[in-house]
Amino acid sequence: MSQFEPKIVAFLCNFCSYEGADRAGSAKLQVPSNVKAIRVMCSGRVEPEMVFEALTAGADGVLILGCHPGDCHFKEGNYKTMRRYNLLKQLVEEFGIEPERVRLDWVSASEATKFAEVTKEMTEKVRSLGPLNFNSGTC
Amino acid sequence: MSKKTGVFFCRCGGIITDKVNEEAVLAEAKKIGDNVVTLSHNLLCSAEGKAWLAEQIKKNRIDNVVVAACSPKQHEKTFMEVLENTGLNPHMLQMANIREQCVWMTTEPEEATKKAIAYVRAATRRVQKHEPLEKRELTVNPDILIVGAGMAGIEAAQTSSRAGRKVYLVEKEPCIGGLVARFEEVYPSMECAPCMVATTLQEIIQDNNIDLFTYSEVKDVKGYLGNFEITILKKAKSVDETACLGCGECYPVCPVSTSNKYDDGLSERKAIYVPFNGALPNIPVIDRSICLRFNGQDCNKCEEACPLDAIDFSQEDKEVTVNVGGIILSTGAELYDPSLVKGLNYGKIPDIYTSMHFERMISGNGPTGGEIVLKNGQKPRSVALIHCVGSRKPEYNDYCSGICCMYNLKFARSIKEREPQTKIYNFYTDLCLPGKESQKFADESLLNTMLVHFNGDVEATETPEGIKLSYMTKDGGNQELTVDMVVLAPAIVPPQGTKEVGDLFGIELDERGFFKEDHNLMNPFSSSVEGIQLAGMIQGPKGVEESVAQAAASSGRLLSRLVPGRVLEVESKTTTIDEDSCGGCKICIGLCPYSAISFDIEKMISTVNEILCKGCGTCAAACPSGAAKAKHFTRDQIRAEIKEVTI
Repeated sequence: MSQFEPKIVAFLCNFCSYEGADRAGSAKLQVPSNVKAIRVMCSGRVEPEMVFEALTAGADGVLILGCHPGDCHFKEGNYKTMRRYNLLKQLVEEFGIEPERVRLDWVSASEATKFAEVTKEMTEKVRSLGPLNFNSGTC
Repeated sequence: MSKKTGVFFCRCGGIITDKVNEEAVLAEAKKIGDNVVTLSHNLLCSAEGKAWLAEQIKKNRIDNVVVAACSPKQHEKTFMEVLENTGLNPHMLQMANIREQCVWMTTEPEEATKKAIAYVRAATRRVQKHEPLEKRELTVNPDILIVGAGMAGIEAAQTSSRAGRKVYLVEKEPCIGGLVARFEEVYPSMECAPCMVATTLQEIIQDNNIDLFTYSEVKDVKGYLGNFEITILKKAKSVDETACLGCGECYPVCPVSTSNKYDDGLSERKAIYVPFNGALPNIPVIDRSICLRFNGQDCNKCEEACPLDAIDFSQEDKEVTVNVGGIILSTGAELYDPSLVKGLNYGKIPDIYTSMHFERMISGNGPTGGEIVLKNGQKPRSVALIHCVGSRKPEYNDYCSGICCMYNLKFARSIKEREPQTKIYNFYTDLCLPGKESQKFADESLLNTMLVHFNGDVEATETPEGIKLSYMTKDGGNQELTVDMVVLAPAIVPPQGTKEVGDLFGIELDERGFFKEDHNLMNPFSSSVEGIQLAGMIQGPKGVEESVAQAAASSGRLLSRLVPGRVLEVESKTTTIDEDSCGGCKICIGLCPYSAISFDIEKMISTVNEILCKGCGTCAAACPSGAAKAKHFTRDQIRAEIKEVTI
């Protein structure tokens, strides 16, 4: 049996993480193609509902990547994300979903290597957790 | 008729097609609907490619465009321009990043193709939900408000005035020129400070483009970049500025006096006064807190002495409203209070002075006429110049003020010149001497002086022989030295009231209480609010050279944004709040990093000032009723992408 290939949605903020992802590409770093990016202006734009929508639509994990605290292009959007994320994690757990399936991290525009590492770690993590099947009532 | 989507696949000269199966990607994109047209080109960003794209958009009557190519960071603007040239709204574009974030980060062609399919389909679904966004333009007022008329403020005023702008220069003191106007000499040239600035100050006073408000404060600030409304409080000077010629007949006759803060308390001034000899504008003010006339007594000695009837006791504080497009804050800095530093006994031992005291003492127009004397009238046989007072220590101030080493070296020269027999000790922790001229200046200044490398802590006690300094050297030994005079170089800190000024202008302070710059390297002269610039020490300690440079830069920033007759293009991708669905919960208001959302008390809803909004969408993410809509990053648009990338 071929190994399970998880689907992971990564919300990337435009000014740091999306740029970091671009640079991972420019540096020809290998990034698991399990991870598919959606660009938002700021990690603060990511609605908790969007995370659930991704999980419902078939994603096995969701990454939210933003600028490092203190470096947000929009001054403090990432702090708002951090606050929401803490609640989101609790909610995710209440739904019976392993909290590790949702991860918030900081990737700056220069952290191409970190982008490659975070996406790899996340893919391995979610692969080890197995398919989510959130929409099919199995969890 | 349904809208037609054009999916334009760029081979990027073969870079993309080396790994991605073009036909497979386009076939999958086509499956989205009959209204999808797919076309390929070898290099879309080339001049020929752009012309071809424009032609195809027109020929196929495309309504919205997907460009599957490189990162939007690379060429989104390029292709938006192409759309605009064809008459389409430039926001009807979505790029699928199949180079940086697909081909370049994936080894296996099959995987790369699958990922490209997901990205191209997601972009196609998304672009079909795009809405044209208006190019928003703002007419601007080109005039400028400058607060604080020290070295930075006057440079900013002159730069702006030379560009033909009306400048409102507000200074809370009765005179302009800031701290430097009170110095005798400036490093590294040892040039006479009053000579250096006097001409410029006179030019400012006589400049028809500059409205100078001395003895005044900003009371209210409304608006945003391009359109600010400012209320200035002009405090009553009790002297008619148009009549007074500055003859100085009024102050000798005044019967009351108080400590003169402009000499740092080393001299007295009268109730009617000019801050110091040579202060400009040379027009006195009456300090109503001590003037007998304003304290219930019938005194009019100054009025009698004035040959020009310029004294006007009936003057009242006046509010003036002005409109400007931009603001420069150059409110300066002050010294950290050394009485807060343990062991120094500053304020208890008479002959311990701050550097500002010493500047006034060596100044020809200062309280001692430029002579270095102790409180007992004698000349000091020895002077210790103590660096880093309350600096570079987390319990006081954790930073290096950067200019104190240089001015202490200046002091060493001033003392040597005036009192060649006096022994000079520089107590330093590290010498901070950046720049092309500092090292040479230091080498020369330190000749025939003593350098004491101490660990930053020193205890001062008064003894019959003088001031005993007990300290620890950098190598750990305890030492003592007795001197006649001690001059302290305290940390440079934001002036008192900076928090209030920050609140008034709605700008942020940094953790040390200075005004926070937009970006410490890329934009060190803009505040956290667009249209409000920073100049000089209020952004952080700095010398004259840097203050003046920053002031010119700040003026330049405003001059280039506020061009008479030209409109200002503002962000199109803002957030709006739908009036009908807003429930008035106000959650969004506290979330906005730009204070762009306010509450309409009549309609009981939140409203966005789209000029202040930068489009981060943080409010939209939190709006429980979905009333807040982040343009170009709407829920529907993001959902469309989510669906395609999770198939």
